[in-house]
Amino acid sequence: MTLRFAARRLLALFRKRRLDGELEGEIRAHMEMAELDAIASGLSPEEARREARRGFGGIEPMKEEHRDQRSVRWVENLLRDARYGIAALARDPGFAAVTIGLLALGIGANTAMFSIVDAVLLKPLPFPAPERMVRLWETPSATQHNNTTTLTYLDWKRQSDIFEALSLEESFRAAVAADGDPVRVPGKMVSAEYFQVFGVKAAIGRTFETGEDQQGARPVVVLSHSFWQARFGGDRGVLQRDLALDGEPHRIIGVLPAGTFDRNEARFWKPLIFKPEQLNRRQHWLRVIGRLRPGVSLEQAQAKMTLLRASLNAVIYQKDWGFTVDPFAEMLVGDTLRRSIYLAFGAVLIVLLIACANVANLVLAKGATRRKEMALRAALGAGRGRLIGQLLTEGLVLCVLGGVAGIGMAYLLLHAASPLVAASLPFTADLSVDLRVLGFAAAAVMAVLILTGLLPSFQTSFGKLSGSLNEAARGSSGSRAAVRRTIVIAEVAASVVLICGAALLFKSLAKLQQVDAGVRIDHVITMSTDLPATAYPTAESATTFFKAVVERLRSVPGIEQASVSIGLPLEGVRWGEFLSLPGVKEGLLVRVKMVDPWYFATLDIPVESGRGIEDRDRAGAPPVMVLSQEAARLLSGRFGVANPVGRVVGSYLPGYGPIPESQVNLQIVGVIRNERTSRLQSPLEPVVYVPLAQFPRQDISLVVRTRSEPLGAMSGIREIVRQVDAHLPLGEVRTMEEVKERSMRWAKQPTWVVGAFAGVAALLAALGLYGVVAHAVTQQRREIGIRMALGARPGDVVSSTLRSALSMLLVGLAAGLAGAFALTRALKSLLFEVSALDPVSLALACVVMTLVGILAALIPASRAARVDPTTALRDEG
Amino acid sequence: MSEHKTDVPYGTLDLLILKTLDTMGPMHGYRIARRIEQVAENLVRLNQGSIYPALIRLEEQGWIRTQWGVSETKRKVKFYSLTRAGSKQLNVAVANWERATALVARFLEAQS
Repeated sequence: MTLRFAARRLLALFRKRRLDGELEGEIRAHMEMAELDAIASGLSPEEARREARRGFGGIEPMKEEHRDQRSVRWVENLLRDARYGIAALARDPGFAAVTIGLLALGIGANTAMFSIVDAVLLKPLPFPAPERMVRLWETPSATQHNNTTTLTYLDWKRQSDIFEALSLEESFRAAVAADGDPVRVPGKMVSAEYFQVFGVKAAIGRTFETGEDQQGARPVVVLSHSFWQARFGGDRGVLQRDLALDGEPHRIIGVLPAGTFDRNEARFWKPLIFKPEQLNRRQHWLRVIGRLRPGVSLEQAQAKMTLLRASLNAVIYQKDWGFTVDPFAEMLVGDTLRRSIYLAFGAVLIVLLIACANVANLVLAKGATRRKEMALRAALGAGRGRLIGQLLTEGLVLCVLGGVAGIGMAYLLLHAASPLVAASLPFTADLSVDLRVLGFAAAAVMAVLILTGLLPSFQTSFGKLSGSLNEAARGSSGSRAAVRRTIVIAEVAASVVLICGAALLFKSLAKLQQVDAGVRIDHVITMSTDLPATAYPTAESATTFFKAVVERLRSVPGIEQASVSIGLPLEGVRWGEFLSLPGVKEGLLVRVKMVDPWYFATLDIPVESGRGIEDRDRAGAPPVMVLSQEAARLLSGRFGVANPVGRVVGSYLPGYGPIPESQVNLQIVGVIRNERTSRLQSPLEPVVYVPLAQFPRQDISLVVRTRSEPLGAMSGIREIVRQVDAHLPLGEVRTMEEVKERSMRWAKQPTWVVGAFAGVAALLAALGLYGVVAHAVTQQRREIGIRMALGARPGDVVSSTLRSALSMLLVGLAAGLAGAFALTRALKSLLFEVSALDPVSLALACVVMTLVGILAALIPASRAARVDPTTALRDEG
Repeated sequence: MSEHKTDVPYGTLDLLILKTLDTMGPMHGYRIARRIEQVAENLVRLNQGSIYPALIRLEEQGWIRTQWGVSETKRKVKFYSLTRAGSKQLNVAVANWERATALVARFLEAQS
């Protein structure tokens, strides 16, 4: 009834004009009838009209009152109730603080989490017509995506009737001079149409023009807004200046708008100009993005690409590879991230529900003390709807205050969390408290209001009001206690689900941490650099540098070992190739690492058979290769090569700089123990090692093993590198421990988030349990007093109180476990070597919840034991 | 205007309207006002207009409902009728009124 009541008032407010018109009509009809009656009683028309006016009374004051009646009263009621609610809260600041705190926690955490969900999964990308943005691949199979080759890219580009813009993107790092010392700054090499793909225009100057990615074009660069601020202090005259990348001056032609591209890893963009050697169909090195023309659907684009693929069959090497067009947005968010975000959101929703349950419980407990007040008001004539309205308004005050505090908390949470999670999110995700997020917060407040407000309202005012007046305050109402116990059981159950999830994730994380990376983790520091083509034009110049750096580093007293390699453990190997045995058609796909003779020793990777890479494997000497155990195992499994050492295999390996890969025959000289080359949870990859001296490259990493704390050795390492090349900046300086941490980030973040929420949930459930038990003890003081007077010992009282708490706990545990059985399946893909129903984890979760619950119940139970029978009986007797 | 006429007692107009609709069935505003005047036999001074705010109030409480109909003057007017909640409310209001008058009556007797 109260809803209909409120709705009518609300409608009346909006339909003021219509109602005014209707009233006008009624008055006119009334007057006419009054006149007719008056004429019928013998008055002249003139007198009749006067008589009708007289009988009706003042029209304007009546209209005024009519409006008051239909619109203002509910507003007044609302304001009065709100005032009353605030006054009531002010009278009981403890209750207010706890409730508002709980709601702020629940709403705040949810709002912050929603901001992430919205930014990553819901909001359209922050570019015009994002649905037209695509990513293009060559696809060896339905599930695999591969980069494409230069010539194939150029073929795609010719399909310009479906693409408005098509661009490649290639991440790289360049040395940028900053106050003397050069630093490595991440950037991207792209095609001239790159920014047209995103539909982004420069804030200052311009982006690339057609032809600026062609041979002979003047070197130009576009800066991100933040890089422009940091490097050039926001100087608007920057367009007249040059930026030296690896010592080569590039004219600055534009600065991007602030925002999205500032979250991109790249700080600057320059055109990628193909070198003649790169015009081949062998090297799959290009990541391609595009923007479809308006009106071209994804299906049409895919059909076109399939046709194109068929027409290229004569020139493409990989006959079974197809061309695939994917929505750009889809590729930004991986499955793991999507699942982790949904998981965290689910967890935080449970926390909100538990917080709501606690608030409802508090309101119910408070409602018990207000029964008399409510009964009195009902007796004085307040309608039931009016009373519920009052309670709801009071709830609204609570929820709005909680919501406002929650939004503040969400803001703080996001502020604190975004630097931690930003690296895991796509650059298009802008974490902020915007209108959509505020809308969500408002919806959450309404939902909370309904959850926490309605139940206690009905409980309080639908009970027998007359009965309440007579009922002594101390008597606890059976139905209310049952509702409160049910709420606590639900809280316990929900917490158990969360704790089970957290326990599984933590166990999985622990398993992951135990995985042997196969390399030394402690006292090892790694860093990367790129040899600029200008200073190191030839393979010889590069190998000379490698040797010089390593030799000098090894002579430093604090350094035990040092090596140069392409790629680091756990960070993935970029190069993948097929090994072929003479006379065998099928190849074995392996990852290829280029390492110097000290790489295995530095990382403590033992040689299992044959030998490792040695100093004699130089340019000019016969090419050699070392296998990982996994590669050797596959080789023997697939091709029956029992002892690979000594065998010669063929492969394609890249040349130095822009020189493309070429067919090489290499002799296998040894097998080493497996090194984990990618994330710890992924299966072992077959890896082969070739001498860096024979296959040098520019994008190198240094691995250094130190005698003491590795970061302490950094200044020495920098000094040595400076002695060899003063212009070469070192970047991504990380200890091996950090590398390992980073490789587990995908698993750690959701685990800690769910863990934190589970902890909060357990505490809230404990709080709820405490509240109910404490309330029961307070209400049963007299009963306890009587029992103690009759000879019950304190121990009996404690155990009987605990028994009731335990019964709630056990029912909650059972329900929670059932829920966990149903829900932990969702975790499956995030778990590593742990079953989603791992009995140890589930049992642990139950034990934790039971302990927390008993602890919460012990406090009021011990208070019950201290009840002094004489005071208890005298107090209320 | 005769001197002995009194205003409608405060708070009783709602009761009068409900009772009128209860006995007479659906009516439009003018008829309700006339009916009250007739029953009261000119004992009360009723501004006929004042029933309209009362009618909208009763409607919003859900005690009466309106339907469009045609008046004797062939005009489209609202006809008011009692809802179920309205008849319940009438019983409550009558009981309250009787209790109140009984109390006052007893009080006056005791004083005399």
